[in-house]
Amino acid sequence: MSVHEPEKTIALDAEYLAGHRFPYQEDIALVEDVDLLAATPGPDLNWLEDVELLKEDAVPAVFDRYSNSFLKIYFRIPEGREDEIARKVLIKHLQSGNSYGIHLKDKHAKFPQPELGPWVEGSTTVGTNWHPPVLDGWEPPDH
Amino acid sequence: MDALAGERMITYDARGLVEPDDTVPRVSEIDGDRAVFDAKSLTTRQINLELRWLLYEEGVKDVTVLNPGAKHSLGVGILTRCRITFDGSLGYFGCGLIDGPEIQIKGRVGWSACENMMSGVVVIESNAGSLTGAAIRGGDVVVKGQVGARTGIDQKGGTIIVLGRAGSMTGFMMQRGRQIFCDDVGPGLGDSMYDGTIYVAGKVKSLGIDCVPGEWDDSDTELIERKFRIYGLGKPPEFQKFVCGKKLYNYDNLEPSERKLVL
Repeated sequence: MSVHEPEKTIALDAEYLAGHRFPYQEDIALVEDVDLLAATPGPDLNWLEDVELLKEDAVPAVFDRYSNSFLKIYFRIPEGREDEIARKVLIKHLQSGNSYGIHLKDKHAKFPQPELGPWVEGSTTVGTNWHPPVLDGWEPPDH
Repeated sequence: MDALAGERMITYDARGLVEPDDTVPRVSEIDGDRAVFDAKSLTTRQINLELRWLLYEEGVKDVTVLNPGAKHSLGVGILTRCRITFDGSLGYFGCGLIDGPEIQIKGRVGWSACENMMSGVVVIESNAGSLTGAAIRGGDVVVKGQVGARTGIDQKGGTIIVLGRAGSMTGFMMQRGRQIFCDDVGPGLGDSMYDGTIYVAGKVKSLGIDCVPGEWDDSDTELIERKFRIYGLGKPPEFQKFVCGKKLYNYDNLEPSERKLVL
């Protein structure tokens, strides 16, 4: 019997988590109309000020802190608009409900919160009726 | 003494860890998308339950909390865009773990206000305790009074603006983001900071390890002028800029998982 270390994935990206690419990763026209000021609290960019274009596996990418993953950008980014485009791709990803963490909310959110986060007005509230999961056949101990 | 009325009503579980009663008080006066309620006779848990009920179930977008009575842990974990006004002071850990709200606190706050804030705006009209903005990742915190020690410890993003004086070890282990101090700061400024920028208009008692003066550029002027304009803080004074000397740490040597912790 051979014993070996299991294969480890150390660099998760949004495509790996979703199993596919999203159209807005490949077409700039799909993110041009994103209103960054409207998507963030206060009169300026607020938390998006800290979001900038990075690279993952030598590909331009933006970091999605809500799923701890990189979202790669495959279209050509106009010079001088790097951070703006990175922010628009990220907000499009979040507003579309494609961030991996959002998929987990319906089942696992323990207290009320908007399903799609603070970026979408009128989003459904989840987490209002959470119960701890119980294993089949498990019974609480006597003591 | 009246302010303690709510605390006296609390019955804790056998471990003394939680208020077991999770009934929403539903005492607010609601007018369209605005609501107001008096927190004087409510416990901490009841106040937070009332806030969540209003914001998540009643569609309220603007809440005023009267008589918060400096109770601890109020307004925590609010994850939606809204406006909240606390008409008084908060105790410790106020407005932590928020993502989206714009909050005004008309009094003082205890230690660790806005800790782990993800996004939003918190304006504190008076003084704040130590550890204000601890580990915040995004959003703006504006303190119009003075702050205690270790403001923005472990900060990973966002902007902290303080009009009054700041205590020792300000910006300790700061990793990203911006801190703007309009008056004097205590000893150990920016000690062991990894990254980020600290602006100081007053005197610096002493710099911490690996915190060095930075070179001013147009983006610094734009940031200062924009923040002063949107928060109505008047004409900005002249600031000194401090950054990390990068003699202690180098991100390139970190594991990918550690790199993600600061993004």
